[in-house]
Amino acid sequence: MSRWIRSGIRVVAPIAAAFILGFVLFASAGYDIGEVINGLWQGALAAPGSAEQSLRWAIPLSVISFGIVITLRTGEFNIGAQGQILLGGFGAVSVALLLPDWSPYLVIPLALLFGIIFGALWSAIAGFLKVWFNADEVINTLMLNFIAALLIQWVTTGPLKDDATRGETASTPRVDQTFRLSDGAGVSIELIAIVLIAAALAWIIIERSPFGLKSKLVGSSPRVAAWQGLQIKRIHITTYLLTGAFAGLAGALEVLGPSARLVTGATPTLGFTAIVVAIVGTLRVPGALLAALFFGGLQAAILYLPIVSRLPSSGLRIIEGLVALLITAQFVWLRRRHNRRREL
Amino acid sequence: MTARASKDVVLRCEDIAVAYGDVQALHPTSLAFEQGKIHVLVGQNGAGKTSLARVLAGIIQPAGGRFWIRGVEARETNVQLVRALGLDIVHQRFTLPPNFTVAEALELVSARKYAGAFYSHRRLAASWLGELQQAEMSVSPNARIRDLPIETIQSLEIIRALAGQAQFLILDEPTALLSPGGVENLFSRLRQLRNAGVTLLLILHKLREVLAVADTISVLRAGRLVLPPSDIAAVSEQQLSDLIIGEGATGEAHAEATSKRMARDSKAVNLALANVSTRQSEAEPALAALSLEVEAGEILGIAGVEGNGQRSLVNLLTGLMPAQGGALRLLGRDVTKLKHHQRRSIGLRVVPFDRIAEGASLSLPLWENVAIWKAERFRRSRFAPLRIGAMKAAAEKALDQFNVQYESLEQPAASLSGGNMQRLILARELADSPPVVIAAQPTRGLDFRATQYVWGALRRLKHDGASIILVSSDLDELINLSDRITVMRGGRLVAEFAPPFEIKGIGDSMIGAMR
Amino acid sequence: MEQFVVTTIRLSAPLIFAGLGGLFSVRAGVFHIGIEGLMLAGAFVTVGFGSATGSVWLGIAGAIAVNMLLSFVYWLLIDRFKADMIITGLGLTTLCVGGSAFLMNALFNKRGSMTSAVRLPQPVVGPQEGLLAYVSELSLLAWLLPIFVFIVWLILRRSRLGLQIAAVGEYPYAAEAAGVDISRTKLVAMLVTGLCCALAGAELSVGGLAAFSENMTNGRGFIALAAILFGSLEPIRTTLAGLFFGLANAVGINSQIYGGESNIPRQFILMIPFVATMVFVTLRGALSQRRISPGG
Repeated sequence: MSRWIRSGIRVVAPIAAAFILGFVLFASAGYDIGEVINGLWQGALAAPGSAEQSLRWAIPLSVISFGIVITLRTGEFNIGAQGQILLGGFGAVSVALLLPDWSPYLVIPLALLFGIIFGALWSAIAGFLKVWFNADEVINTLMLNFIAALLIQWVTTGPLKDDATRGETASTPRVDQTFRLSDGAGVSIELIAIVLIAAALAWIIIERSPFGLKSKLVGSSPRVAAWQGLQIKRIHITTYLLTGAFAGLAGALEVLGPSARLVTGATPTLGFTAIVVAIVGTLRVPGALLAALFFGGLQAAILYLPIVSRLPSSGLRIIEGLVALLITAQFVWLRRRHNRRREL
Repeated sequence: MTARASKDVVLRCEDIAVAYGDVQALHPTSLAFEQGKIHVLVGQNGAGKTSLARVLAGIIQPAGGRFWIRGVEARETNVQLVRALGLDIVHQRFTLPPNFTVAEALELVSARKYAGAFYSHRRLAASWLGELQQAEMSVSPNARIRDLPIETIQSLEIIRALAGQAQFLILDEPTALLSPGGVENLFSRLRQLRNAGVTLLLILHKLREVLAVADTISVLRAGRLVLPPSDIAAVSEQQLSDLIIGEGATGEAHAEATSKRMARDSKAVNLALANVSTRQSEAEPALAALSLEVEAGEILGIAGVEGNGQRSLVNLLTGLMPAQGGALRLLGRDVTKLKHHQRRSIGLRVVPFDRIAEGASLSLPLWENVAIWKAERFRRSRFAPLRIGAMKAAAEKALDQFNVQYESLEQPAASLSGGNMQRLILARELADSPPVVIAAQPTRGLDFRATQYVWGALRRLKHDGASIILVSSDLDELINLSDRITVMRGGRLVAEFAPPFEIKGIGDSMIGAMR
Repeated sequence: MEQFVVTTIRLSAPLIFAGLGGLFSVRAGVFHIGIEGLMLAGAFVTVGFGSATGSVWLGIAGAIAVNMLLSFVYWLLIDRFKADMIITGLGLTTLCVGGSAFLMNALFNKRGSMTSAVRLPQPVVGPQEGLLAYVSELSLLAWLLPIFVFIVWLILRRSRLGLQIAAVGEYPYAAEAAGVDISRTKLVAMLVTGLCCALAGAELSVGGLAAFSENMTNGRGFIALAAILFGSLEPIRTTLAGLFFGLANAVGINSQIYGGESNIPRQFILMIPFVATMVFVTLRGALSQRRISPGG
């Protein structure tokens, strides 16, 4: 039981510290903290439609973070979720726009499938380069994010251009209404069902499949894994494919859900926030779900706060950054306690 | 210490002791080295040689004792301080960064600094070229360290130390990676240095090398000084060999081993190597045309001083390192091209050298450490989820079978003691009675009880008909368990012994002594 | 044509400042993914503090101070508290993105962007028209770039500190044997990174436009990191990589302005640096792999 408490403290303490530091900053900049807290509460849960907004952001965050849980467990720093989301959206929107006359019962699964495949393949580029050529995955996934953004910019201003849009908000035409999984609010039974199915799948892959257990061993000590005959390269490639698949699915859900089209420069921070979600969720699926709800609420509040209090939305970005800054640090008092425990 | 001795004594230790946790690596040891001689310190692995050297070089804190360099006490554990007093060490692992040029690397690591805060490439190279020429080395100061042969890098390490005005130079196993010609060159260079007044302390393994170069010799065995620095002429080769190896083997073990091998000829060969070679690895010589066979119900002991190719042999047998020519057969199948996991599925198991870095993942729970590698067996069909309960039950059964002491299957392996962790590894590798097992240093660092347990497990396995290759640097262990012992030196199998084992013969063969 | 050269320099200058700054950290073994954030912080503080004090130099000094503080915190977290380098670096960037936008709003009551009351001097005044007309757009920092490159080269490739930094990053065992304090060397390298990123941010914000806008670095810090890898962790080659990336960017922008001449969409031209970096990183990885484990 104490193991749970300890890992709980490790998660809650940095978040609390981030909020405290943030609030101190807000207060010293002259904002009324009570007003800010109220705004957070309203924006995330209490105000009409805000709980829905929180859920709307928790949906993509959770799906992406499942993939990131897998990659971080295997010890691979695939930070390319941002690009994989865009590619997933591209795959889905292409299917939906190319087959406008088909039945939704065919198009929707097909669009989701293409989103998944596009995301997985985009991610696998970095994976193959890592496994075959020992090319650093951090820089490659970072580069792939930029390339994906430019690719989407080209798609939305070229081949799949909607003539009514341009510049920063250039986008593809809207997908047919019958292909959509939700309205613009971004929450529906269908979407929630897909998230829950994805969560169940992710949980089975991570906790109940040979791959999941083996990837944990590879991530914790690759040499030990090699001495037990684990096929490390294959596990790595599978990891990249799965990470990209979940991110691609999230991208497809965006396109078929709230946004109904692919927009240039869409959701620029989602991929990063999902990394924080995965870590705050202690690299477990149920934890990631909870963390996604929390950060979904934060995201909703970010968009809501400027309306009710004078606090700009960037204020909550600060808190998000502080969480990421602090969440992996092993503070001395925790470490000492841990060591003492080990001696007993 | 007498007043007379202190006059030309350059290094004096009083009661230096080293402990790693509960393990006493070096018992309180006092000794003194005279100036202008080549002193050699010998002993088996784990005798405490390197520990002593690392204390003297200011790298590790002694558990007790003091030492003086040229009459001045080294009061704190500090590399720079010891260097300033004129003592330097050339480690087994080189300190020159591979991507640096010779001049840059020397400037960085040597206590001698030619440049100030800034330097000109050409002038730095010219300055160090002077040092290189003085040492009669033809290497360019602009060459990259990574492109140089090992002999050259080692010579650079010596130059690095001497340029820092070292008067007392320790070399930790300097011949380990050198070719015979390279060893001869090194020795003549060391003799030159001695004649120039430098005092040298060499840590060596091979008796022939000791006899070739030493002025005085000291012997450490099991953390105790069994021979203080003595004139080499005063000690016979025979005496030295006895001092190094010690008298440990019991006649009882011989008899036991002999009796078990009686029906040898009728059994099947489970593991066979025929003329297999490997490339040189980072730390070990290449294996050259190795052949060996192990029968069912037999333990083949591989003796040898560490670093003579044992690691390459195990890597080769397990498939972690590819063979360059030759063939490897496992239970009658040619497995030369097969990967480790494929060899495992045929029936190979391995107890790795290093419990912590290779044997078990410290952060993972016990049951995962035992069962993950064969996770596929715990599902009903290819797409069915794992039956975690069955996995845990199997792990528990294996752990209990091997008497691992634990509180919960969920506790991380880091919480186990060394002996328990080794039992966990045995539980993982041996629980399903595999036909072929490679056991590499299976009792290193274990206490008496844990060692006995491991030995018992290996014997039981043998009785059940398994073929076991036991790689160990502990002769007692080899003699106690093996049916045959093969000695490895320089990447070759140089001698084979049958019971009753003659401990001195094996020891001599390990260190290359003539008899 | 001249405008094109000047545009390339102006687009390259922040990349080179940040790239060479980041080089200190990367050579010391810190894959400093936070330089994006540090650059942005540098840009904001220069504009904010410079506008408040009326001096661009005080603005830059303030940016340097803030960046050094942030670098110290980053060092504390990854070196002392063993935090993950990548996650923490991403966090640092997010903190700076949020912090700069928030403070702009809180302190200057501006949303989205603010104009700067100060700007860097543009020391060389070209003729009003003709060939050299665009030269006057170059800021003092851009003119000082060659000297900056030289100093960085001198420190990293021709000084004892440079040797120590390289040893710490490449082969800590050697650094230890040489008695180099690994933690402290990393701190020094990271502080220099902070300083240079302040200059990069200043050049970006008050070099030409004299304005700050939310997230105005827009990934330039990550591109600078790519330039470091593309430049093989070597100062001159990193500079050239920065110029190359700036050039590709200029070509992309120009093809947008004078579009129609070629059929290649500008996005694909803008992609070139990223693809080139991937190809290069992969080649290097493949080569180093071969070196480490012959036949492995």
